Amino acid sequence: MEAVRRRWARVAWAYGLLLAFGVFFVGPFLMGFLASLKTDPLEWPFTLRFAQVSPKNWAAAWRLGREGSGDPWLGGMRPGRAVSLEVAYFSPEVKEPHLLAQIPRRKPGAGMGAVFETPYAADHVRLEGPTLVERRPAQLGEVRGEVFRYRLRLVYPGEGPFLERVPLDLEAPRGVVLVGATLDPIRFERRGRVASWDNVVPGLAGYLFHNYVRAFRETRSLETGESLFLRWTLNSFFLSFIKVLTTLVFASMAGYALARMRFPGRQALFLFMLFTMMVPGQVTFISNYLVLRDGIFGLSRLFGVDTLLNTYTGLVLSGLVGASAVFIMKQFFESIPREVEEAALIDGATPLQTLFRIVLPMSTPALGALAILTFQGTWNEFFWPFVVLTSPREIYTLPIGLLSFRNAYGQVGDWGLILAGGFFSMIPVLILFAVFQRYFVEGVSVGAVKE
Amino acid sequence: MRLKARTLEGLYAFLLLFPFLFSLGVFFLYAFLRAVFFSFTEYNLFDPPRWVGLANYLRLLQEPLFLTALKHTLAYSLVVTSLQTFFALLLAVALNQPLKGITFFRTVYYLPSVISTAAASLLLLWLFQRTGLVNQGLSLLLSHLGQLGGFAGLFLAAQALQVAWERRKGAAVSFWDPALAALSLLVAFLGAWALGASGLLPPREVRVEIPWLPTQASFLGIPYPLWAIILMNTYTTIPTFMVLFLAGLKGIPKTLYEAAALDGATPWTMFTRITVPLLRPVLFLVITMGLIGTLQLFDQVLFVGGSGGAPLESTITLAYYVYGNVFPSGAAPRVGLASAAALVLAGLTLLIVLLQRRFGVGERGWS
Repeated sequence: MEAVRRRWARVAWAYGLLLAFGVFFVGPFLMGFLASLKTDPLEWPFTLRFAQVSPKNWAAAWRLGREGSGDPWLGGMRPGRAVSLEVAYFSPEVKEPHLLAQIPRRKPGAGMGAVFETPYAADHVRLEGPTLVERRPAQLGEVRGEVFRYRLRLVYPGEGPFLERVPLDLEAPRGVVLVGATLDPIRFERRGRVASWDNVVPGLAGYLFHNYVRAFRETRSLETGESLFLRWTLNSFFLSFIKVLTTLVFASMAGYALARMRFPGRQALFLFMLFTMMVPGQVTFISNYLVLRDGIFGLSRLFGVDTLLNTYTGLVLSGLVGASAVFIMKQFFESIPREVEEAALIDGATPLQTLFRIVLPMSTPALGALAILTFQGTWNEFFWPFVVLTSPREIYTLPIGLLSFRNAYGQVGDWGLILAGGFFSMIPVLILFAVFQRYFVEGVSVGAVKE
Repeated sequence: MRLKARTLEGLYAFLLLFPFLFSLGVFFLYAFLRAVFFSFTEYNLFDPPRWVGLANYLRLLQEPLFLTALKHTLAYSLVVTSLQTFFALLLAVALNQPLKGITFFRTVYYLPSVISTAAASLLLLWLFQRTGLVNQGLSLLLSHLGQLGGFAGLFLAAQALQVAWERRKGAAVSFWDPALAALSLLVAFLGAWALGASGLLPPREVRVEIPWLPTQASFLGIPYPLWAIILMNTYTTIPTFMVLFLAGLKGIPKTLYEAAALDGATPWTMFTRITVPLLRPVLFLVITMGLIGTLQLFDQVLFVGGSGGAPLESTITLAYYVYGNVFPSGAAPRVGLASAAALVLAGLTLLIVLLQRRFGVGERGWS
């Protein structure tokens, strides 16, 4: 009885610990993600109840987006449409407060976003109101007074461009407090007297993932005007796929030769591979930079390319296959019984045929693991792409893009945008991890056990 | 005929190995030899290199920035490796129990280590801002110090009372009996909450605003920004190594512990005499991987520095020193010096790995 009780208690403690560690290891990521939804991720105190997580605002954002442009997700405003929203103010006096409403001429953001001229909503949208729709006595804390409810209509008459955003500022006299709104304002200025909306037609995604949408919209190429962030994401995908492909093919080839064939210098090659894994990339990058700059000893000039710097060809050629990938495949091939291949070899198949027809089809688990680890490695790789890809900004991969993001917005303190960029870049790896987590966890030990 | 078959096999092997050998030869061997050559020359990436002998290495010893970088790299590497190894082992031992759903928790723990250093650095920057979560958490902790103390005191008091009671009844219970501790925890929790709610221990007004990043101040000889990077990196690597340790622990037969328990061994003895010796290969692996990884710290330095971030003198590492000398802003590249520094870094890596292997936790055991 006593022993049973003790064992149960021990199990309970173990689960408690597990949970505590879980909170500790994932907590900051969760907090960071929530903060990336906020208008000001550095607010003090850090609260978990902010405008972007209120379902009331989601519903309003959805409705306003649909009314403004027909797109309930990303919102915006088209000509010929009108939206209306209501705000409620508490005033300690019985007299109706004088409310000042305007659509400000505001740039969408600082940094990279500020250099583009986008149409101003102020030039196209007409503001009707605020009109008083209701007043009733109320009490706020100790103070007695009245609540005044107003309606505002924003009308976009005639012809004109599509507006991605329609900002709004509402200024109330001193002592008058905003107590409710269809869509909560995202910030207050001048000691709370000015309530400010960056976009009154955001749509659901545009409101909840405000910073994420901005990351795509506001970082645009100076030449083409296309979204840089999207470009970087596509670049990263492209590079990762190519590298997975080259690694799979060449690592299986080399791994097979090392696992199955006798050739002079086999042992030396093996030791040399171990050595390469211990030498930091900082030793070799200088020469590699020069090799790419001169087009691999001038060979690329045969194809009419002067330099391989700032090209994906250079990046791919300089990292065809890594020693650790070869190790993984070699280890796996050694675990396959030889008999299978011997039959094929006796039938007169060449080693190449044996590898591609017989051994590789049996190796899907190892290939899968290698593919996932390579994808993750390439997606996250920073140093070498950072050296090779310097200009123009369109060719950056996502991690390098994030650095330029950080430098463009860190100074102005736009942390919402920076965090959004960071979290967005995690998504593919997180999905991969969620689906194939076994490979990740095992891959560490496989890739690391070098002997 | 036999010889011919051998030759043919060799040819095939070469064919299969060719892409790998190309990669290894051009982008590693050639690059490595060239780095050695550059380190004895003066070279600015454009004019032909000029032979200067050992001058670069001698000059490094007089460069204050290089010495700072060397100090930072060593300190960072040693602190992070010891912290992550220690905590990963601790966690793994705590979690090494046949529990349902442990795979789920392992997956969750592993999460921080799959993301890129770039994304992790951005998170780090946000966490360690002046009004960031770290300072807020510290403020919260310090302002509720009284309550926490009350909690600890209540827990110990409740536990002592219970244990005394049980012992008087004649039961042989240890002080940390898990069943009693669970009850004490509940009592302490309710007690501390009541103390806070009743206003007996009001939270103090504390606002910690440590400028973690834009500062040259240091603690224990390591600058604050570097501490921030240390904390973040320890945090993201603990889970990886914990998973490795767990895999290793699984391989230790349970019968060993049962036999030891029969002989009356304490948990500590079992840990030092069974767990650690049998985990040696994994320990070796973890420490080696930790050292190699940490010696090359670069990305975080770049992210934490930059506009409005940490000053270079507080974060510079060897890897960054090398990069900064090859691509300096507004000055001629000093490739010779950079190569020398890079080779120092490589030498350091090899030396530490060899030393670790010879005297540290090697496969052959403690020496």
